[in-house]
Amino acid sequence: MTKKKLTIEGMHCASCASNIERSLKKVSGVKDASVILMLKKGTVEAEDSVSEEEIKKAVSKVGYKVVKIE
Amino acid sequence: MSHLKEHHHEQPVEDAEITSWKKKLIWSWLLTIPIAIIMLSERLLSFSLIEMPYSIIFILVLGFPIIFVFGFSTIKSGLRGFTNFYFNMDSLISLGTIVAYATGIFYFIGIVQDYSGIAAMIMAFFTTGKYVEALARGRASQEIRKLLELGAKKSIVLRNNKELEISIEELKIGDVMIVKPGEKIPTDGIVIRGESSVDESMVSGESLPVDKLKGDNVVGATINQDGILYVKATKIGHDTFLAHIIELVEEAQGSKVPIQKLADKITSVFVPAILILAILTFFNWWYFSEDLSRAIGVGVAVLVIACPCALGLATPTALMVGSGMGANKGILIRKGEAIQTMKEVKIVVFDKTGTITKGKPEVIDIYSKVSKEKLLEIAGSLERLSEHPIAKAVVNKASLKKYKKVTKFKILRGKGVEGEISGKEIIIGNRTLMNEKKINLEDFDKKISDFEEKGNTTMIVVQNKEVIGFIAVADAIKEDSVDALKILNDEGYKTIMITGDNDKTAKAIAKQVGIKEVIANVLPEYKAKKVQELQKRGFVAFVGDGINDAPALKQSNVGIAMGSGTDIAIEAGDLVLAKSSLIGVVQSIRLSKATFRKIKQNLFWAFAYNVIAIPLAVGGVLHPLIAEVAMALSSITVVTNANLLRRAKI
Repeated sequence: MTKKKLTIEGMHCASCASNIERSLKKVSGVKDASVILMLKKGTVEAEDSVSEEEIKKAVSKVGYKVVKIE
Repeated sequence: MSHLKEHHHEQPVEDAEITSWKKKLIWSWLLTIPIAIIMLSERLLSFSLIEMPYSIIFILVLGFPIIFVFGFSTIKSGLRGFTNFYFNMDSLISLGTIVAYATGIFYFIGIVQDYSGIAAMIMAFFTTGKYVEALARGRASQEIRKLLELGAKKSIVLRNNKELEISIEELKIGDVMIVKPGEKIPTDGIVIRGESSVDESMVSGESLPVDKLKGDNVVGATINQDGILYVKATKIGHDTFLAHIIELVEEAQGSKVPIQKLADKITSVFVPAILILAILTFFNWWYFSEDLSRAIGVGVAVLVIACPCALGLATPTALMVGSGMGANKGILIRKGEAIQTMKEVKIVVFDKTGTITKGKPEVIDIYSKVSKEKLLEIAGSLERLSEHPIAKAVVNKASLKKYKKVTKFKILRGKGVEGEISGKEIIIGNRTLMNEKKINLEDFDKKISDFEEKGNTTMIVVQNKEVIGFIAVADAIKEDSVDALKILNDEGYKTIMITGDNDKTAKAIAKQVGIKEVIANVLPEYKAKKVQELQKRGFVAFVGDGINDAPALKQSNVGIAMGSGTDIAIEAGDLVLAKSSLIGVVQSIRLSKATFRKIKQNLFWAFAYNVIAIPLAVGGVLHPLIAEVAMALSSITVVTNANLLRRAKI
């Protein structure tokens, strides 16, 4: 289980953050996801098997961009 | 410090957002104003500046860039919702403006009234709202942004006996940094030469400069005042005190406050629900009023009035302002939940050593059957092997040049130490230990009691089962402990002190600071259990240092961890105080309560707004334009209200 910090671009409202959270949580292996509009940041708690690509994809699918993962 | 550097790069993001909204805003209004003039003169003054239907063509032409060029990001993000079914706020605005704009085109087929001018104005108002909201959000995060910008960017280091200016990323552990008066200390380190006073207010909230001499720890980003300091770097990058503080604050932002749960749930289904509602409203009006134009107007009003933003921003903005205010005062909110729990707290339990007292005991008296030097030699040699603060006090007092060889050394946690010196069995410890070992205290008994009554700790020294003397150690109360406890008692909190000390010592200290209830003789591992027992009487906040008291901090409803100097125990505590002072406890309780009040107010406004405004729009009472303005105002109100938290007296 690892915790990843995301920096996300393109959010401008509360439902954006909630959409990203929902999309991330649908990725299998993701245990928890929380996105903060105010900081343009999100945290994902996921199994080690979940790749950064999958996370990026889940975010871009709903229309936003991950600019950094740490 | 690379971590901090990264933040500098990210800094302009917020500003970029504001600038971009501002640009869109100016252009939108430049085009919207002529539209507004034409519309108003037609509708209010019944005077056409441009003959119909040319005026509609004129409006369609001017309105197009407002909606589809300056509003492009909104339209794009909104329409995406219709392809992947992740609807957002923009979906509502996009649908509303596109439908309204389309009426201008359909007008020529002669079916409907023209709303295209309204569409342009809705987008212009939406852009304005977003701009103001971005400004207010920027204000809400100003303290945190200051914190991120706090780190030094350059450092002067001594390499090969030469002074060299390097950027902070190049700094390595072990580098000797030269810090001149008025400069920032580049990173955490230890003073190896020079003396000065350092302003640490930015990280601890402590307003008075702190004197720093050789051997003292200094914190990166604090400001050297009057002397030159040579500092050896001990921590860099992610490991520095400042980086930890930033991490704590960011973590808090990401944590959820339970009261927000309902709002979050609503936000996640809000937009689809409003879409359905708008469609139902439209058909309903069309069917019953048989007026398609009116039905479109009402439908658009429903689309643009609904605002999940206010709901979604209610908690995070208040939390952002609250945690920023806290960070300024050296109070770090780690978990948003603690803010909500704090208002239920009835009992505040304090650890004694290091929390109420300074935690740095000193030897104040020695009674001995043998010579004092002899007693200190034995005690110092044995206690040297223990890390306990009381042991350190004894070692400092003895300041031996040469230590006796100790064998079979053992630490008896919470009680004392034992070992053998030159074949003699030595025990040093408190009364509990003496009772356990069945040592007769004899003629020392009364003297020991006298000291204990004054709140001192006595270390009884036993050689081969015989008491040879005792060392009295006192731990002074922190300057502001008395004031802080008076405030808490006056505010109706039940204050309790918990300690491993004996009852007499504990009660004496408690009396000095104004605590009525004392739980003494508690071994460190039982503190959490005692907290659990107290929880039967109500919500408990536990105040202690983050290292020894971690289990108790976890067990309590709100754990307040005291920072110790330059180290903060990140994991322990829902709230962390960078400054080791009890006034910080009072402040953190006040801050939590004020922040939570603000969250509740915000949620109330956000809910009330939607509950009142949506039915009005459905009922056809609100013009789409008024609906849009109201929507923009609702999120601005919430963010502005969060900013007003700064007025709270902490």
